[in-house]
Amino acid sequence: MRYDDNVSAAADGPILRCEAITKAFGGVNAVNGATFEVPRNKITALIGPNGAGKTTVVNLLSGALKIDTGKVHLGNIDITNMERYKIARLGLMRTFQLSRELSGLTVLENLLVAPKVQAGESLFNIFFRPRLLQREEKQNLERALEILQTYGLYALRDNRASDLSGGQKKLLEISRGVMASPSLFLLDEPMAGVNPALIEKIGGYILDMKAQGVTVLMIEHNLNVVERICDNVIVLAEGRTLATGKLSELRENKEVVTAYLGEIINAGPSH
Amino acid sequence: MAQFWFYVFTLVFFLFDYFILAMGLNIQFGETGILNFAYIGFVALGAYVTGAVSLPSSVGTAQQYIFGFNMPFPFSLLAGGVAAMLMAVVVAFITLRRLRTDYLAMVLISLSLVLYDVINNYVRLFNGADGLYNVPQPMAGLFHLTSNAFVIFFACVTGVVALIMWFVMSRVTRSPLGRTFRAIRDDPDVASALGKGVFRYQLTSMLIGSFYAGIGGGLIIQFGGSFNPSAWLPGETFVVFAVIIVGGVGNNVGLLVGALLVETLLIHLPAFLPDIPGHPGLIEYIDAMVIGVALMVMLWVRPQGLVPERVRRFQVPTDELIHRDGHSVEAPVIDTMSATPTPSAMAAHEGEDA
Repeated sequence: MRYDDNVSAAADGPILRCEAITKAFGGVNAVNGATFEVPRNKITALIGPNGAGKTTVVNLLSGALKIDTGKVHLGNIDITNMERYKIARLGLMRTFQLSRELSGLTVLENLLVAPKVQAGESLFNIFFRPRLLQREEKQNLERALEILQTYGLYALRDNRASDLSGGQKKLLEISRGVMASPSLFLLDEPMAGVNPALIEKIGGYILDMKAQGVTVLMIEHNLNVVERICDNVIVLAEGRTLATGKLSELRENKEVVTAYLGEIINAGPSH
Repeated sequence: MAQFWFYVFTLVFFLFDYFILAMGLNIQFGETGILNFAYIGFVALGAYVTGAVSLPSSVGTAQQYIFGFNMPFPFSLLAGGVAAMLMAVVVAFITLRRLRTDYLAMVLISLSLVLYDVINNYVRLFNGADGLYNVPQPMAGLFHLTSNAFVIFFACVTGVVALIMWFVMSRVTRSPLGRTFRAIRDDPDVASALGKGVFRYQLTSMLIGSFYAGIGGGLIIQFGGSFNPSAWLPGETFVVFAVIIVGGVGNNVGLLVGALLVETLLIHLPAFLPDIPGHPGLIEYIDAMVIGVALMVMLWVRPQGLVPERVRRFQVPTDELIHRDGHSVEAPVIDTMSATPTPSAMAAHEGEDA
């Protein structure tokens, strides 16, 4: 099997199926039988109280952690406990809760490194196929510059990524994922710690991804954003899937209100 | 006068040789983030194998060693490089698949000590503690050089080899492969999440660096004609680290500067100075202290080294793109995303939903 091709974005059925996955750390069951599907070409939110296991689920789906029991399918491919770079090559990209830029690389290089398979990463090609390298590098460079332009990072392209502000690092991480042409993009709290104007912008970028055929699964606490851009919501509590549906429907679900939404409603209007 | 040039070209030889060694360690540590504390072991293996394949059969001689192929230069040198690469494959499979950073460094130090003890004590391999000696002068049959002329000749040969290896290394570090190495150095988890098989790239980096180590070691034994365990005490690895830290991690010019300052001026130049009266050998100890202090000062004051890793700037491919910063061009055609969303993008989406 080749791992260089994305799972098809055009096929039928959910792009991701997660069946009763569990993960324990010592005696703590961080994920305890989570089961859900992520519909293709939609934006799905993964919400839940702190400690519900949302980030652990993202780590399990992306291969950063090993699943104890259960199955995960990306399209028709069983990716349960597959090596994470192979999962990425199938088109599942992710961002991290705390932005993880490649600090010693420039902003532009952060994007240029993203295409999953590059001819220029082979020693043979470096020395014996220089034209292929030049052609590929030129294509990647043009595309990276266009994406940087889109994300408002063009003027910072030659700065080291470590020099960016927190908000800029969020944008860099998302744009780097876009450069990798994902089929399914897992965003771990993309709006956390950014100003309202940037929240609006990032929301717009996510909608653009959907328009381009990318499926998005995002962990998000900002229910205002969830309500406005997400087609579907998965509620996680104590490592289990509590409910799925549209947020407006979930507001009527007593269990969901008790486990999560109640906290926010009681705390005042959503941010 | 001939003595003077002998000294000068000996220094020149070590400058070029340590430049090669520094390039090898730099691609592993400076570019890929592999803290290879066993580096000197790869240098030593390269030296021993180069020597052992250059020598004639050990039967009937006072030395014991494997090989003994009478192999001519530069094939003997290549054999040393390849041997170090083969050891890199073994070491990489033992260490890189599961270990990172400090744990990896500890295991590599241990492996270095194990290798040192094996070669020092298993006499039939490379003549044990006595090491290899009487290694034939490279190309002696062709040029018939005096020992002084040979030093000048071989320093020049080493310079040419260093130049070729610099060219090759520059091609690698400037390529997308070099960029991926640096991504792995900065954050292997992120690199992996971008679809990079981290172990494969680390193995590639180990192989390249070890080849350089083996060639550097091979040149040492070809230059001096002998090599024994006192030349590669495990602490010698830190001299190569000092070269790249003082010169500048991730910058090939910095490595040359580091090799000049640390290896040539601090280590080998004092060896030619007269002893301090009444304190024979004291200079050697002062020398070691100076290197230690230089390393600490650099790490405190200028951790990026004298010639830091440069920011890689790309030439923007078209005129249209060059003018973008001036906001004087139309929005670019974007194949993956639509034009920059405005704050109203989400509001518009809400409108569609309604």
